[in-house]
Amino acid sequence: MSPLPYIESRRQILRAGTTALALPPLESLGHSKSDNAIRPKNFVAIGTYLGWYQKAFYPEETGKNFKIPQTLTPLAEFRDDFTVFSGLDHRSQNGHGAWSNFLCGQSPKSYSLDQMVADAIGGNSRFPSLQLTAGAGESNQSGGHGISYTRLGIPLPKTRRPSVLYRQLFTSKEDQARTEYFLRSGRSALDNVLEDAKSLQQKLPAADRQKLNEYFDSVRVVERRMMRQLQTVNDPVPESNYKLPDYDPITPNLQMEAESIFYDLMVLALETESTRVISFFLDGLGQVFSIDGRPLGSGYHGLSHHGNNPAMLRDLVAIETSHIHCFGGFIKQLKAKKNVQGVSLLDDTIVLLGTGMGDASRHSNRNLPTLVAGGNFSHKGHVATDSSKPGSPLLGDLYVTLMQRLGMEVDEFSNASRNMNEILS
Amino acid sequence: MTRECNACWCERPALKWQRTWARVWAAFITTMLLLSHTFVASGDTAPTQATEVLQKYCADCHSSETPEGDIYLSLENVDWTARETRNLWESVLRANVEQIMPPLNEAQPTRRERESLSQWLDAKLLQHTPIGGTLPRRLNRSEYRATIRDLFDLAQFELPLGFPGDTDAHGFNNIGEGLVLSPPLLEAYSKVACEIAEELYPPKKTVPKPSVRIAKPDDMVLSFSAATIRDGALRLASRAVDVMRSCTWPSRIELSTSGTYRVSVSASKFISDRGGSFKAPMVLEVYARPVAASERSRVQDFRLLTEINIDSEEPQRVTFEADLYEGETVLFRWKNALMTHDPPAVREGFEQVARANKKFLAAWLKVVYPSGNPKRPVRLSSLRGRVGWDSVSKHFNDTGLDLTDVSADSELAEAFFKLVTRSGKTTIADSLCHYYFEYGPSLEVHSLEIEGPFKLVDGPKDQLRWRQREQFAGRRNGEVSDEEFARQMLEKTLPKAFRRPVESAVVDRYLAIAEEHWQAGHSFDEGMHLLIRNILISPRFLYRSLGEGKLDDHDLATRLSYFLTGDPPDSVLVDLANRKRLSSDWVLQRESQRLMPDKPSDFFIKDFIGQWLDMDRLSEIMPDPKLRFTPYYVEMAQHEVEHFFAEMLRENRPMSDFIDPDFTYTSPLFAEDVYRLTMPDKLTKNNNVSRRLRRIDLQRGKRVGGLLGQSAIMMATANGVDTQPVLRGAWVLENILGMPAPKPPNNIPALTPDTQGTTTPRELLAAHTQDAQCVVCHKRIDPFGLALENFDPVGRWRTQWPDTKKPIDAAVVLPNGSMVDGAVDLKRWLAANINPFSQCVAEKLMTYATGRLPNYAEKKEISEIVNKNRENGDGFRDLILALIASDTFRTY
Repeated sequence: MSPLPYIESRRQILRAGTTALALPPLESLGHSKSDNAIRPKNFVAIGTYLGWYQKAFYPEETGKNFKIPQTLTPLAEFRDDFTVFSGLDHRSQNGHGAWSNFLCGQSPKSYSLDQMVADAIGGNSRFPSLQLTAGAGESNQSGGHGISYTRLGIPLPKTRRPSVLYRQLFTSKEDQARTEYFLRSGRSALDNVLEDAKSLQQKLPAADRQKLNEYFDSVRVVERRMMRQLQTVNDPVPESNYKLPDYDPITPNLQMEAESIFYDLMVLALETESTRVISFFLDGLGQVFSIDGRPLGSGYHGLSHHGNNPAMLRDLVAIETSHIHCFGGFIKQLKAKKNVQGVSLLDDTIVLLGTGMGDASRHSNRNLPTLVAGGNFSHKGHVATDSSKPGSPLLGDLYVTLMQRLGMEVDEFSNASRNMNEILS
Repeated sequence: MTRECNACWCERPALKWQRTWARVWAAFITTMLLLSHTFVASGDTAPTQATEVLQKYCADCHSSETPEGDIYLSLENVDWTARETRNLWESVLRANVEQIMPPLNEAQPTRRERESLSQWLDAKLLQHTPIGGTLPRRLNRSEYRATIRDLFDLAQFELPLGFPGDTDAHGFNNIGEGLVLSPPLLEAYSKVACEIAEELYPPKKTVPKPSVRIAKPDDMVLSFSAATIRDGALRLASRAVDVMRSCTWPSRIELSTSGTYRVSVSASKFISDRGGSFKAPMVLEVYARPVAASERSRVQDFRLLTEINIDSEEPQRVTFEADLYEGETVLFRWKNALMTHDPPAVREGFEQVARANKKFLAAWLKVVYPSGNPKRPVRLSSLRGRVGWDSVSKHFNDTGLDLTDVSADSELAEAFFKLVTRSGKTTIADSLCHYYFEYGPSLEVHSLEIEGPFKLVDGPKDQLRWRQREQFAGRRNGEVSDEEFARQMLEKTLPKAFRRPVESAVVDRYLAIAEEHWQAGHSFDEGMHLLIRNILISPRFLYRSLGEGKLDDHDLATRLSYFLTGDPPDSVLVDLANRKRLSSDWVLQRESQRLMPDKPSDFFIKDFIGQWLDMDRLSEIMPDPKLRFTPYYVEMAQHEVEHFFAEMLRENRPMSDFIDPDFTYTSPLFAEDVYRLTMPDKLTKNNNVSRRLRRIDLQRGKRVGGLLGQSAIMMATANGVDTQPVLRGAWVLENILGMPAPKPPNNIPALTPDTQGTTTPRELLAAHTQDAQCVVCHKRIDPFGLALENFDPVGRWRTQWPDTKKPIDAAVVLPNGSMVDGAVDLKRWLAANINPFSQCVAEKLMTYATGRLPNYAEKKEISEIVNKNRENGDGFRDLILALIASDTFRTY
């Protein structure tokens, strides 16, 4: 709602309030891994709006014995925990407007991978999925800025303020009370309009009365949902002593700070089983970053149109390396957190890092740099494919493998109907 | 080798109109099944003659145990009051009139026999079909948005992301039967209601204690080349209005409370020996900026707090008081900076320095014109920002730089000045910023402090909230009790929200909600909050067209208003309805004239043709790059249809101008490149003129112009890559002639006709219609598609089929036997026989306006209107006025 820019926090809380507030009992943490075959149960997808400069992202060598490419240097210590894929894409359209092909496949703005996963495995969590973003960019109207889309192709809103996510995850007593108040008064509102509808219906012809049954049915379903939420609204929520800064890093130049904080909160969200599915959109426009105290020569978007100018490439790669630096902090924490069976949160989580833009300098959406980490896969270093060869795999084939790994019975995604199980298992 | 037939439209991904047909057909089949039961109901029996015709020609296939196409016909005891029965016989009538049945390989009725059946069915259907029958229409997305905006004075209200979409029925998204209310939608309505209630009656906030916030240069936003940090200070250089090119603001200060604050700024002049001088004070503007404002904001979007004069090279600290609002921070701009990014002053910026400093000019010329040839500059885009300045400053700092012949008056310098103006305002000026950052003059900001709040104030949001509350609840005068005030609010708001007067029992019911809430210990505001949440999910708010018979004045106002404007009725309509004046014919006509849209951007025009002519599809079509059809062209094509339609309506143009007009609207560039029209030089020489849309005169009787000559229509009926004559033909039948051919019945298997040896789409189709089962429909569909084959998937004229390079033969025989030679001839034929088209448009308009598909009797009324309009000049605007005056429009 655009006229209300400053109350995002409060509204977001409300939104959380109307989502299920149920939480698995705390003692169950870490007990879900009793079966022999360890299956990851979380999925995280992260994408940069301006892509990744391919030559600094792809290792020169293929296979496990690769030299860490420049952008990925912060991941050097985790080289056995991820696989880089080159040459994959969705054969989608080019340009910023089609960015959402990242998770949607060949048709941008359609049912996205994370939402398929959320619909399959997210349902029992407090939050079936979370959508986050860091770094200001174009306004939402431009349309290229969606990452997650429902089954019906409706874009999901993204949380931009860490404080909002924090309050969703670690609801305060006051917020809980307000949520309960809204649920109770909301239920009474439904009762009232139901009465009103009945009195209205009496005077209507038969066909109209029948049509209004849709209304009555909907009221009853929503009422039942609210009842369920009321039963759990006061259940304990996880507590956290994580300290947020007293401002939200939403200005564009604080993007890296926002990313670090969001990664910390994402770890907490997964650890507390508040959600199983997260998408994270890393935006970009004209912001000039200072890296190691040095302001870069141009804004992020300007650098992405590097035209192979070495000075611009150096700065662009510095930004992208900073993204990976933040990402490395995420992987490190996931790896360090272990449950009682000794399974790490990283093994329990498939992390997909990529983009919908293959080469921002040319606005090409071919050859999308892609990295898969965790998920208890036996990782393969660098897997190179050549899309000019007939029958070469699609990015969607990899997505099928990821979904199957999560226990979903699927064998196709968008334009892809094979898998890469032979390569990544 | 057998090729799979892929020309047949039923094998293609379902497009909108196909889905519609599928539903129509599904309804049709259901009808048949229902009929087997309704036949036993009592009713009357047909006269012998009609019975004989049916017996003789139809009974063999359609009265057996397993009738063809599941269509079972019997004239015994027909229950004409059942809508399904009437639908069945209406389709029989159509099959008879259009000679779809019996199949060609069966015996055919004589003309007299056909007429006798038709006349009898026509009379029966008219006698038994009542006018009316719109199902309750839930507000669709755009109506809902407009209604909320109106009710709460929330002009900027947008539906939240994730708000569910609507379902089409009969090709439109505002039809009663398609507008389903589902639980997720009701939840979304509740959520919006709650957000609006929170806006108007937010919870009380706690007031924070005053505190000090400090920002140093490295806490400030740097974007593009707007600012840089040197020697611990932040330097500004440009006065551009685009904030991301010139301004800076703290990244970690966002005030959470509207109040009065004390702001201190420390700033100084930066001047160096190698840069120019700056004698006057530097003026630092301090604005209030919402932290979350768009990166594309301009300074004039923000509130100027103060101007500070800086006249020392030593940091000077200035303190002032200002009201800052929730969510804001402060923003700095150097008002009298020497340079700007705003054209045409970019040239001045460069020229000024170049005239004062020969080395500066020499360095730039060396970088931009490595060959010294003014006609061969390097690409300026690679010189943007600091990267550009780094290349230039290498030469600038080179003591051996050759300054001979370097002059700001030289041809080369002039070429350079022109180039920086032309190449755009931003990127190259970014490099100039860096010269100023390095050598001055530039303005330095050293630190910022904001202390407060010392006093609370109403921010614009609070003020807006007061206004919105007043709009919603009215003004509260002195001594009124909470109950009285709430009643006053309900009496004012409920009739507006429910779009009709409200009985006192309903007001009482709503008032009781608030009272109960207050009695339970909640505040007045919470009671009002709850009322909003109630009103906005009431069926009286969410639905319109509840009732039967003739529309009363209020529902007439509602139907008229949403039809022509997309908005709820305005105060004039409401007043007329309250006085029961709107239903008088001349008042209705006057009000229709008043509300009639006339601009291409008007809601009705965009919305109606978006759906009728499938213009909504354009954004989904990605033209094949081979077709050289850029997004600009797509946009221009769409604007053409909108402007064309607007003039048809505004100027009351005759209906035949839809097909063969003497004008269109497009850009000269588009006209030349896509339509191959010759444009006068004065329109094509200047890039700006050439790309701008204008009215263009056309010669009648040519390819270009009219719905069947417009690029956007040809695009919407293809897929961006190739044309599919069957699809285009079916589209013309449905949307231009209003005679959709039904889908093949379910019991016909998908066909793989023998298409060996065919090379052109035409031959392929011909082979495919050898099959007697296909030919019934395809002889009706294909001619219209083939006749338009000269238009490629984006509406350019072509004479060869793309793959085979064989010449296109677009001569066809229309279903009625007329010979037509291609698109131009088809247009001629249509313009000469305009009534089916007029009837089609009129039915589409009526469907869109009333939210139901016109039934047999209503089509008859529309047909009378169309005929009468034809006799009176056949104006399009007149047609709409007459449709509004009809019984069909004015019945629930």
